[in-house]
Amino acid sequence: MAHASVIFFWLAFLLYGAAFAVFLYYLFSRRSAMNSVGLALVVAGVACQTAAIVLRGVSAGRVPVVGAYESLNMVAWSIVLVYLVLELFTRIKAVGLYVMPIVLVLLTVALVEYKAPGGLMPALRSDIVVLHVIVMFVAIGCLYVVGGAAIIYLVEEALLKRHRLGGVLGRLPSLATLEKLVYHATLLGLPFLTMGMVAGIIRAETFNVPHWWVDPLVLLSLGAWAVYLVLLWGRMRADWVGSRIAWLAITGLVVLLVIRFAAVPYLSGFHTYGG
Amino acid sequence: MLVVVTGISHKTASLELRGRLALDEGGALRVAQELLDGGAACEALALSTCNRTELYLYGRDSLAARQAAVERLAQHAGMPVGELEPSLYSYSGDAAIAHLFRVTSSLDSMVVGEAQIVAQMKAAYQQACEGGCTSVVFNRLFRHALEVGKRVRTETAIGERPVSVSSAAVELALQVFGKFKDHTVLIVGAGETSELTATHLKAHGIENILVTNRTFGAAEELAHRVGGRAVPFEDLEGHLAAADIVISSTSAPHYVITRERVERSLKHRRHRPIFFIDIAVPRDLDPEINRVRNAYLYDIDDLQHVVEQNRGEREKEAHHAERIVEEELRSVNNWLRSLEVVPTIAMLRDAVEQIRRAELERLGGKLGDLSDEQRAQVDMLTASIVNKILHMPTVKMKEVAGSQECYLYVDAVRTLFDLRINGSAPERGGDAAAGATGTADPPDATVHHLRGTGTDNA
Repeated sequence: MAHASVIFFWLAFLLYGAAFAVFLYYLFSRRSAMNSVGLALVVAGVACQTAAIVLRGVSAGRVPVVGAYESLNMVAWSIVLVYLVLELFTRIKAVGLYVMPIVLVLLTVALVEYKAPGGLMPALRSDIVVLHVIVMFVAIGCLYVVGGAAIIYLVEEALLKRHRLGGVLGRLPSLATLEKLVYHATLLGLPFLTMGMVAGIIRAETFNVPHWWVDPLVLLSLGAWAVYLVLLWGRMRADWVGSRIAWLAITGLVVLLVIRFAAVPYLSGFHTYGG
Repeated sequence: MLVVVTGISHKTASLELRGRLALDEGGALRVAQELLDGGAACEALALSTCNRTELYLYGRDSLAARQAAVERLAQHAGMPVGELEPSLYSYSGDAAIAHLFRVTSSLDSMVVGEAQIVAQMKAAYQQACEGGCTSVVFNRLFRHALEVGKRVRTETAIGERPVSVSSAAVELALQVFGKFKDHTVLIVGAGETSELTATHLKAHGIENILVTNRTFGAAEELAHRVGGRAVPFEDLEGHLAAADIVISSTSAPHYVITRERVERSLKHRRHRPIFFIDIAVPRDLDPEINRVRNAYLYDIDDLQHVVEQNRGEREKEAHHAERIVEEELRSVNNWLRSLEVVPTIAMLRDAVEQIRRAELERLGGKLGDLSDEQRAQVDMLTASIVNKILHMPTVKMKEVAGSQECYLYVDAVRTLFDLRINGSAPERGGDAAAGATGTADPPDATVHHLRGTGTDNA
């Protein structure tokens, strides 16, 4: 079962890689059929990844969100889902090219950190922890997309200002689209982040975890939460320029990345299961 | 049987000559019908756009067909053939089909990649089809050509990038706003390019157009033409705050809109982006405007630069499109070749059957004492011998249909059995499956082939 899971993981990885190549080709060739081809590859990839996650869960006998391999896999998976929802159900198109590299990097790190499925440590055997973790993954998926969109926004704005858009004119999503994407994905991600944090606090309080609030991860999450709140507030005031919102989104992304790649493995007192 | 095309285009003829040769809808059909009635061809189609007038013919004698077409064109233009001749181009066979495909792919257009030609070709074909001027070959060929045009547009980016200043301006504005909904455009000063750009913007969904000018009358006039509203020049700053796109083309010797003005208006409009297009020489808009946050300024040189780049891109895509045309040419050629085989087989069978019947009739007296049953058996026996003998040639002919050497076999059979074409090959406006002689059924494979492509006959 664990073997099958790894095979599906690899399949998903290759399909995403192929999708990225196709999106890249689309950018330069402008063959409109290519975007659909890329999209089909992503759908196939997410199906394989889902299979990989389910099989991993079955072989471990628990929800597969423990350790770097599983959690990064989950984050990548939720990012792809957010992307697919945006692509298929909104008019925000052609962001696949920018989502795929993030997903590929996450999956590569996951692979490096691969460990065979193990049992669950006692502290994690709780429904509220499972809820906390899953909700957090959805939030992180959304907020990574927010960060990615913000980066493209700033690059595109700079290109427009410098009159260097040339090759990608009409191919990049418009500034208005990206701004909308940043706003909508934050609007989706922030409630999940809030929910995840509340679930975490409830868990900590019920089990009397000592000084949970001084944990670096908790503090950083609170910081990220505040950044996104300010972002939404600024956007609703409607007189902030797009680039200010974009910089806030990037700040949020940096905090999330610090949490993921520094706080979880090295700093946190009790969040160490994430590895 | 060959496809022939002859005509003039922007590449060979002056605007004046093109004007003289232009055919209106009725004219195009009339010319095609006259050529058919004259017996020069068995299928005909006339295409006339502002950049070209061409006659496509399908007939046995390509030279005669071309000659008839040229004479008809000269007659239409009201000039002697000799005078028209230097401006004409003519192609026959593969070259003619390649030309047709290149035309529908917009590779032969004045602006490579323009989208109109497919619709124009479609209209010309539909008209010819309804007028009964096309049949098996042209029905298939022109539908194929339209498919090629479509394929080139979807598989290459030939028509994607704007190649005029006004459309480049629209494209850039779209890059900022995504989609025009309730956006407002402000035209400062009146000029041809700003009018053109406003029209483009309108086509993309912009509804609010404000026009301002130092002379209010001129503003009103332009506003009337583009379907906008004239506003007083004195209140420029107030209008700036309302405008998402500003197109400026006054003849003022100094900057009409300065950085400070833009900063103030942006504050008024809560920093929603403004896209400035400066078409004036000397400049109307302070280049410093581009430094203001959420203000984007493009002047005529910047736009020209974008256009140049896009032209280059289209050239590159055109190479790709040429390859598609070559590929499609091969596939349609195979079909055209196989087309010759069908009537030949039918004619062969017909000829041999006639011999058999003649011989039976000649023997009629000598078979006098045979009973009806015995007669029937003799009939069956001869028929069976004929069928057996013809079986192998028929199979072999079908095998070579579509191959390069197909013509050799067709010629050999026609020479050896002295088969003559009576009249034209496919009957005009007739059923797609009807062969040249109309007596024997063509081989099954080809019947399916023809019917398969004949279903969407409009």
